[in-house]
Amino acid sequence: MMLFSIWIRLGWRNIFRNKRRSLIAGVAIGVGLASLIFVDALMKGMENNMMEAATSTFLGQAEIQRRGFRGTRQTDLTIRRLSEILAKLAQDARIKNFSVRAISHGMVSSPSDVSSVELVGVDPTAEKEVSEIDEAIVRGSYFTGQNPQDIVIGYQLAETLQVTLGDRLVVTVSQVGTGLLSQDLFRVSGLCRFNIPAMDRGMAFVRLSKAREALGIGGNAHQIVLMFKNPEDGSNAALPFWGEYTQDDNEALGWPQLLPQMAAAFRLARFSIYLTGLMLFGVVALGIINTLFMSLHERLFEFGVLKALGTRPEGIAGLIVCEAGSLAILSSVLGCILGGLITLLASGVGIDYTGIEYAGVTIRKLIFPVLSVWQFIEYPLWVIFFTVLAGFYPALIAAGIPPAAAMRQGQ
Amino acid sequence: MSKELVIAKGVTKIYTDSGIPVSALRGADLRIDYGEFTALVGPSGSGKTTLLNVISGLDFPSEGEVWLGGKLLSRMGGRELSDFRRDHVGFIFQAYNLIPVLTVEENVEYVMLLQGLSKKERKQRITEILRVIGLDGFGNRLPTQLSGGQQQRVAVARAMVSRPTIILADEPTANLDTAASESLLDMMYRLNQETGMTFVFSTHDQRVVERARRIVTLKDGMINRDESRK
Repeated sequence: MMLFSIWIRLGWRNIFRNKRRSLIAGVAIGVGLASLIFVDALMKGMENNMMEAATSTFLGQAEIQRRGFRGTRQTDLTIRRLSEILAKLAQDARIKNFSVRAISHGMVSSPSDVSSVELVGVDPTAEKEVSEIDEAIVRGSYFTGQNPQDIVIGYQLAETLQVTLGDRLVVTVSQVGTGLLSQDLFRVSGLCRFNIPAMDRGMAFVRLSKAREALGIGGNAHQIVLMFKNPEDGSNAALPFWGEYTQDDNEALGWPQLLPQMAAAFRLARFSIYLTGLMLFGVVALGIINTLFMSLHERLFEFGVLKALGTRPEGIAGLIVCEAGSLAILSSVLGCILGGLITLLASGVGIDYTGIEYAGVTIRKLIFPVLSVWQFIEYPLWVIFFTVLAGFYPALIAAGIPPAAAMRQGQ
Repeated sequence: MSKELVIAKGVTKIYTDSGIPVSALRGADLRIDYGEFTALVGPSGSGKTTLLNVISGLDFPSEGEVWLGGKLLSRMGGRELSDFRRDHVGFIFQAYNLIPVLTVEENVEYVMLLQGLSKKERKQRITEILRVIGLDGFGNRLPTQLSGGQQQRVAVARAMVSRPTIILADEPTANLDTAASESLLDMMYRLNQETGMTFVFSTHDQRVVERARRIVTLKDGMINRDESRK
């Protein structure tokens, strides 16, 4: 222990012997660490941004539907025991809001053209709390009047059909049970723009009651969309919620299951960070080894003297490892300060990636990097670990040099 | 106890310099008794430093044997040899070679830390040795804040504080002016007389030679002459 304290003292003081060299090595390590902190914060911000874009636009943080409906869109697959579930959700303390939807593929035609759409029947009041259809209205209004024949469509669909507000559209769907076609006349009351092409050109919204009537599903529905009080619950696979509502052939799914490509993209991005970090520190490690070797060769005679005085080979190795550790600690402090400042600055102004589509989601708002305590614990610990690890090579070389050879070469 | 501290028998040392074999010692025989104050003299390249290195276990002979304090050094492994040097050999180098980032006290304390002495013991020995070498009150200074003579005194203190059996000094006065050299030699001679500690110097310095009670002259890696004085 006494020896360890002198090695730490020596290691710490030795890095100040050649301040310029230590500063250069320290800055290299520090910048590497700062980059990792910043990229991690940016990724977290991007994840939040994309998750928010994906879930708040239309998807919700979770959905309950009949097993098989998600993949097939078969309109006969309505939610079982809907009223019981709705009552349970209303009492569930974890749930902030929920809304019921009836969904079907259909055909919409105007005097000029025809297009296939996904027709969604919504409860306008409840839907406002779980999606952003109302906020996406660019012309007209969001089911403000009492007209049951109101229809809201994407602006690109309107262009295809060459219709505008007040124009009439015929919607054709297939009725559940009989398979007979059901047609109804609607009047365009709103045009919406989500900046998500698939929605802007392929979705049409009507009142829930009209959709139920057209599909002939009575009081049933195909989907319950919900938002949690704690947004992170949506991706928390350990939440008992999923088991509680995955019953009677219904399934409750969080957004990572609903958007598996996005969850996979996040995992890939995380892996990329680690891989980049590893490569970054591979390069930095070579720099550290070089720095330590330069220092070692400059002080070869001194190491010979230390050996002559009776320092064991492992003592010499310990001394160099302590020096590497001291450099790592100093660099980590520098990296944390630098990374923290850059990230704080970026999180204040935001980074503009709007309009870019990634993993099926269009980024619609500025990305604000998110700092977390873990970034200042995990990454510096990795930096210290890798730097100390890099120190072992020169340490072993120094430990193995015979004292007389060290003094001869060091003269 | 045998009166012989060092026995070197037929010591040959060949090392390579840029791939060329160099014979630094060629069958040197030497015996040094406990309590001697011996000077190794000879021209540059005669093998003085190499002989000091092999009798201290810093280097192994290519041929021959070296016994120190009854131990055959070539039989010892790296750790054992380190521990043996720590406990039995003190070194003084030409360029002082104090650790620049440690204070005077810390430099002197270093070997005692290696020995695992208690803090109280270390403190006591430091106080005592700094008084002996006349550097009371200099304990917290860094080596760069001392003159060459003072640094060499600290080196002597570092060599002596672990109470070794032998002190080996490689050109200890080479970087000192006359006054500092005289003062250092006075101190080492006094310590030899008072403690009976064995001193072996390699030197070109006539003043050191004049103080030595035994002068071993090396030439071309061999012991050319060995004379003792009263």
